[in-house]
Amino acid sequence: MTAALQLSGLRKSFGKTEIIRGVDLSIGRGERHAVIGPNGAGKSTLFNLITGRFPQSAGTITLHGEDLAGKAPFEINRMGLSRSFQITNIFPKMTVFENVRCSLLWSMGYRYNFWSMVGRSRALTEGAEQILEQINLTARRDLPAGVLSYAEQRALEIGITIAGGADVIMLDEPTAGMSHSETDYIVDLIRKVTTGKTLVMVEHDMGVVFGLADQISVLVYGEIIATGTPEAVRANPKVQEAYLGAALEDH
Amino acid sequence: MDLILVNLIDGLVTGLLLFMLSAGLTLIFSMMGVLNFAHASFYMLGAYFAFQISLALGFWMGLLIAPLVVGVMGAGVERYGLRRVHQYGHVPELIFTFGLALLIEELVQFIWGKNQMPYEAPEILQFTAFAIAGNSIPAYKIFMIFISVAIFIGLLWVLTRTRVGMIIQAALTYPKTVEALGHNVPLIFMGVFGVGTALAGVAGVIAGPVLGTFPGMAFVLGSIVFVTIVIGGLGSLWGALVASLLIGWITTFSKAYNLRMEDLLTTLGFTKPEPIWDSPWRDLWSITSPQIADILPYILMVLILIFRPYGLFGKRDA
Amino acid sequence: MTDQLTTDPTKPAQRMRAGSMVLPLTPWVIAAIALLILPFIFTANSAITIMNQMAITIIFALAYNMLLGQGGMLSFGHAVYAGVGGFACMHIINNDAFFSNLPLPLLPIFGGLFGMGLAMIVGSFSTRKAGTVFAMISLGVGELIAACSVIIVAFFGGEEGISGDRTYGLPFLGVEFLQQIEVYYLIAVWLMVSAALMYLYSRTPLGRMANAVRDNPERAEFLGYSARWVRFYSFVASGFFAGIAGALFAINYEILTEENLNTTQSGIILLVTFLGGVGFFFGPILGAIVFTLVQTVLSLQTELWGFYLGIVFVVTVMFFPGGLAGLIMMHVPAKRLGKLGRLGLPYLKTLGAGALGCLGAAALIEMVFHVRHASVGDHEITVYWTTFDTHGVLPWVLAIGATVIGFGLARATAPGLVAAWNDANTPDGAAR
Repeated sequence: MTAALQLSGLRKSFGKTEIIRGVDLSIGRGERHAVIGPNGAGKSTLFNLITGRFPQSAGTITLHGEDLAGKAPFEINRMGLSRSFQITNIFPKMTVFENVRCSLLWSMGYRYNFWSMVGRSRALTEGAEQILEQINLTARRDLPAGVLSYAEQRALEIGITIAGGADVIMLDEPTAGMSHSETDYIVDLIRKVTTGKTLVMVEHDMGVVFGLADQISVLVYGEIIATGTPEAVRANPKVQEAYLGAALEDH
Repeated sequence: MDLILVNLIDGLVTGLLLFMLSAGLTLIFSMMGVLNFAHASFYMLGAYFAFQISLALGFWMGLLIAPLVVGVMGAGVERYGLRRVHQYGHVPELIFTFGLALLIEELVQFIWGKNQMPYEAPEILQFTAFAIAGNSIPAYKIFMIFISVAIFIGLLWVLTRTRVGMIIQAALTYPKTVEALGHNVPLIFMGVFGVGTALAGVAGVIAGPVLGTFPGMAFVLGSIVFVTIVIGGLGSLWGALVASLLIGWITTFSKAYNLRMEDLLTTLGFTKPEPIWDSPWRDLWSITSPQIADILPYILMVLILIFRPYGLFGKRDA
Repeated sequence: MTDQLTTDPTKPAQRMRAGSMVLPLTPWVIAAIALLILPFIFTANSAITIMNQMAITIIFALAYNMLLGQGGMLSFGHAVYAGVGGFACMHIINNDAFFSNLPLPLLPIFGGLFGMGLAMIVGSFSTRKAGTVFAMISLGVGELIAACSVIIVAFFGGEEGISGDRTYGLPFLGVEFLQQIEVYYLIAVWLMVSAALMYLYSRTPLGRMANAVRDNPERAEFLGYSARWVRFYSFVASGFFAGIAGALFAINYEILTEENLNTTQSGIILLVTFLGGVGFFFGPILGAIVFTLVQTVLSLQTELWGFYLGIVFVVTVMFFPGGLAGLIMMHVPAKRLGKLGRLGLPYLKTLGAGALGCLGAAALIEMVFHVRHASVGDHEITVYWTTFDTHGVLPWVLAIGATVIGFGLARATAPGLVAAWNDANTPDGAAR
């Protein structure tokens, strides 16, 4: 079986600085994979490379066995990979419902359709309502997304990310800046909406990582120094030395 | 050969004049992300103010005072207009400067009327500097070149050698960081806007006597200036310089040499349809280079956009 | 924005159903009836002329707002799509063999197709980026085509432009469109059709994504849509309806010149759309109606009409970015609370005083202009139907007095208005 996402020899330089220095990683289907690492390790860059925001300097990225080189973000999305952003990235002026409905359009086959009314499609409305139900925002459906609370916006962002039915979901620090109770809420939400999908996430909060992930990769200075189950990574002396030591003793 | 030299000088004058406008425009753009549609209007104000001052105090005082007044007005526009509109986003900012351009043109007509003003070069410069093969080069043109080059060397020196210049350069790229370091970024923005518009004012003061001081002068030059910075690459100072000179020379040369499309097409092996006045292609065959000199910049812009969407010197992610 | 903030979140479901499943037909029916009976109320030929112009401007402004309001693309050269559509129609009218078999009411379709064709060519490179880059390209291309009009004489007719006779077309149900009123109904039908199509377009997947790309192109890309192609399609659709407006112009005036293409024309449509309000579908309609009326009235009264327009425009951009439509919609929350009436008196006080100030200032401006530019010895001026000597003291005292007192009173009563506004927008019983 081909891996859902396969990176080999991936490199990225900005000017003379090499941020990603040869990453090899294979993420299997249905796996929940967390990428952790200290600040500046290149986690967000790695995400941006995979999703086509920047072109890589060397190496290959394959999604379900297909090479992603030179593909624009929208093409990658159509191949079944969807992502969220570290800084909340929604459509603030549109209503919550519209946000979700827009993210359903392509996957429901509407493409650049200009002859059918979105309001008339039962499938679209029901699909969007279902997603709203999943992310518990039904009561907020007609508010402009920009006025929601921070946690609600994060939930909406996750809703937009999963709405299109992509089977590989990438979340960039989904709990950044949240309180404890909000974090617990989002973790439950993520677990619920990504059932049966491949999940790749970058996260700082170790509670979230160990609670959600079944595989963890540790990225330090643009290289992956360890990959494995949470227990194996926790026990890995290299990881402890490089990064986790202090954090784990507290945990 | 001699004619080429004359045209080189003429093109240089036009190019440097364009650069004096496009430099300020591109500086303001790269710093604030807003394209000042009214930039050429400040150029026009420069000419009109200088004319008014020259009536009372003579040309030289006009050259000194008018740009200062224009700069202060520009800073005022940034402080009380743009800064307010900024919160709505870039498109409203652009619409605001567009409205400002309209308003300034109407204001100029309100104060000075619709006719051209008798704004002349000072007498001391009204002589022939030298002649090349019977073509006289007026001293005023040499003076224009001298002024513009002097201003640029000054600008370059300020930007690269002084503390203020360093802060401005840093603020261009990292406004937030510079602000965190304790510098007053809004003040820097206002200052750059003021200096940029003052530069446009200088251009107006020295171009007014040559190109005419009339209410349409902003519009005539304005759209060419925008084309210039698109060709050069939005936000690139070097691109603005190269594009300005390029446009200056292209328009001058195509006006000076009467190249005919007919000759070009014949050389390419096409036969002229007869009778020509009945052919749907008659306009193509009758085109001459002086006729299209003024639209060459636009054609150049479209070509650049198709083959190099980021302009000559633009960064890909600009 | 404020009106949206206070949307009642407690009963979302029923409003939603009422809003989007059923087409809001009422305004459309009212508009159709109004268009039908207007010529019976305003029977003068000049009135019909104004209404024709108004209707054409409405279509053009709506097409423009497909770009600016829905797609977030600011074009400084949109007149060329209307203009080229119009020129193409003029050529069709002048092609006897073809035109004598074509009923005139179908001509706008061709105008639309030509406008659309040009938009496809230009859009292929101009829609790569939104914002400033798009605006600059639109300006450059607009200038280029306007400048071409004197060079490509075969198509644009040089300085005199192209003219023709619309009555040579195939009679449509016996109508030859010789009379203005016949043309009026032709334009009115096209207005209803185009407005309805443009409204429906905004409700299609592409129309919704145009909004999404406007607000956040990057996010839209990660939803499977290419921002560039969404912009391209909006641009092409807008070009189509602009072309229809151009064709109607050709039918109505039977002449097109360089003026239909130039930047002034493009600027006017931006002005009309923005003054009306880009945030709502009916904004440009409102803008076109008000602008055409005010232009017709004011440009006869004063040479300085452009100056006042410039001031109003800049003030609108700075203080009322929602335009007229935005101002109207601001009052929806207060109306929903049933407290709109409480604003009446404060409005009357402040706006009345403000109006007095504006009138005084306008009189001052007119007098200054007259003193500066009137021919020597001409001291007579007529302002507000009163003729007086601009070199006398009394008129100046009156004008300055009105200005100072008017604006002073407006300023003094403004806090009262703000308080009334806050009160009207706060539900009764809610803590402040």
